Amino acid sequence: MTQSTTLTVNGARVSETIEPRTHLADFLREKLNLTATHIGCEHGVCGACTILVDGQPVRSCLTYAVSCEGAEVVTIEGLEHDPLMAKLREAFSRHHGLQCGYCTPGMLATAYDLATRIPDADEARVRLELAGNLCRCTGYAGIVAAILDVLAQGPHVSAFTSQWRECAEPGALAPVLSHGATTTVQSAPALLPSSDSVDLTGGTKITRSVTIHADADLVWKILSDPWQVAKCFPGAAVSQVSGNRVDGALTVSAGPIRTSFAGRAEVLYDAATRTGEIRGIGDDRGGRSRAQGMMVFAVAPAAEGASQLTVDITYKLTGPLAQFGRPAIISAITSGLLAEFARNVAILAAGKEKLKTSLMRQVWYTLTAFLQPRR
Amino acid sequence: MKPAPFAYQAVPSAKDARAYLASPDAKAIAGGQSLGPMLNLRLARPALLVDIARTRDLRGVLEDGDVVTYGAAVTHADIEDGRVPDATPGWLRNAARHIAYRAVRNRGTIGGSLAHADPAADWVNIMTALGAMVLISGPHGDRSISMEQFILGPYATALAAGELISGVRVLRRSAKAQWGYAKFCRKEGDFAQASAAVLIDPERGEQRIVLGAIERAPACIPDPEAFLSGRLSADDVVAQILPERDEASRALHAAMLEQAHAMAFGGAVK
Repeated sequence: MTQSTTLTVNGARVSETIEPRTHLADFLREKLNLTATHIGCEHGVCGACTILVDGQPVRSCLTYAVSCEGAEVVTIEGLEHDPLMAKLREAFSRHHGLQCGYCTPGMLATAYDLATRIPDADEARVRLELAGNLCRCTGYAGIVAAILDVLAQGPHVSAFTSQWRECAEPGALAPVLSHGATTTVQSAPALLPSSDSVDLTGGTKITRSVTIHADADLVWKILSDPWQVAKCFPGAAVSQVSGNRVDGALTVSAGPIRTSFAGRAEVLYDAATRTGEIRGIGDDRGGRSRAQGMMVFAVAPAAEGASQLTVDITYKLTGPLAQFGRPAIISAITSGLLAEFARNVAILAAGKEKLKTSLMRQVWYTLTAFLQPRR
Repeated sequence: MKPAPFAYQAVPSAKDARAYLASPDAKAIAGGQSLGPMLNLRLARPALLVDIARTRDLRGVLEDGDVVTYGAAVTHADIEDGRVPDATPGWLRNAARHIAYRAVRNRGTIGGSLAHADPAADWVNIMTALGAMVLISGPHGDRSISMEQFILGPYATALAAGELISGVRVLRRSAKAQWGYAKFCRKEGDFAQASAAVLIDPERGEQRIVLGAIERAPACIPDPEAFLSGRLSADDVVAQILPERDEASRALHAAMLEQAHAMAFGGAVK
């Protein structure tokens, strides 16, 4: 999967055939041998890879080279004979603005932008603007002093005109942005708060209640069949049922993240009271994270032929995933999952074959694994 | 890390974007400042990236009387530098200035921030507090929904398959309206650990208080008057809305609420 891309690098026109996944820093270093651009964290935090694209500082690790078609890219190499960069270099040297030098190209690119964009920056502002460039040697004192020194020699002019991506005229925007009569635009009313009652003693506990638009007997019938439950529960799959033991898996995702848990649960039913209990444990692929949990559920008749499903969940997470196990997230997602489960049970109870496609699919957070212990 | 392989298509218009987004496993990318890290860490592995950063009809602002519509591909820096109009008396411009870092703001977009739906993101919470509407363009036509309906949870939105945010629509606010927005970050530009926004618009008879960075959709408090009149303290409000959070976190949110409140009533704007 390659693509041809043409851009200007340090004044020279460059045309290369590359994989779209090649980010600009790799493109510069690996294809063009321009190794002054340093790669640190590769996810936009450290600032070492900061360079100028169309006159503005950008993270070259978060900028794919193919997205720079026609752009003007300038690296530290391209600023060798630039008068402002010469002053910055000299000041960094004089004020001890570097030790190991790893952050320096990014610092200089940021400083170049700072010196031309905010000529009256004081020390506080300089420090603020440097927040996105990490230095672990100098304690920043030398860097800040060097930049203030250069600012005092100003004003400075950037050698590169900032080429902001063109903003369209209203005429061009109207077809896309004017849909929906503007008169219907109102501020939305304030949301009601969630009535979460989460108890954090020991394991984390969540209580939820949903109305299912189906008769309580029908709902109970579905709930007492693990195969049917899996059909209704987003992401759940049952592989084997023997006695009250259920084996299976749960695929969960949050935004673009997706993972799968496999496990086993014991299910106890009490048909007389229409209550049940699931107790289980599951591991993710590679066994790095583990979810353990218990769910007590009860079905009761409600008004107009509907029924009320109440669940009490207690769960515990260990392993790498545990660091994402923030109760607030799980609490919100549980509501979403149960709402969809309720909808699906109602549809199944009504005898309709096709279950609603999961709108909430994006909502499942990795940690909702506890909802399907040992499936 | 390097991303897993993907195909890439830059598109000139929203219509073209929709056509490519119809293919399975396609994902829209604008500035890539939130999606990029997920791609680089291989947490996200889309088959196709549809680049809307230069999509002409998504880059700009439409002003229509009382309503200002920001195209999805407007960058934070566009707002920070005033290259696009501010629907408010400087609130958006000031907020934009404190989003991540300048190098990120030069590419990151308002539509991308909303689509990514990180609970700590500034626009997610600010647009909720302003009662903004999200314009969505999709295979079955256009629709617009409120921010409350749009953000479903962490990284989760009401966008359906093949749909794209075309813009975000906000009402103009005059100098008579009061506004405060505060966030707590370990360092400038870092993800917020707590945030709060206060809006009091006497002209429109609107009061809205939002607690953000709570790892679910921003929470609008049901009775802003109780807090604004002093009947409930910030601690009371936070205890009521965020009972699941630990004491330290609640204290942070209460502090941010107090700060936003002070800012709305003439406190120093950072």
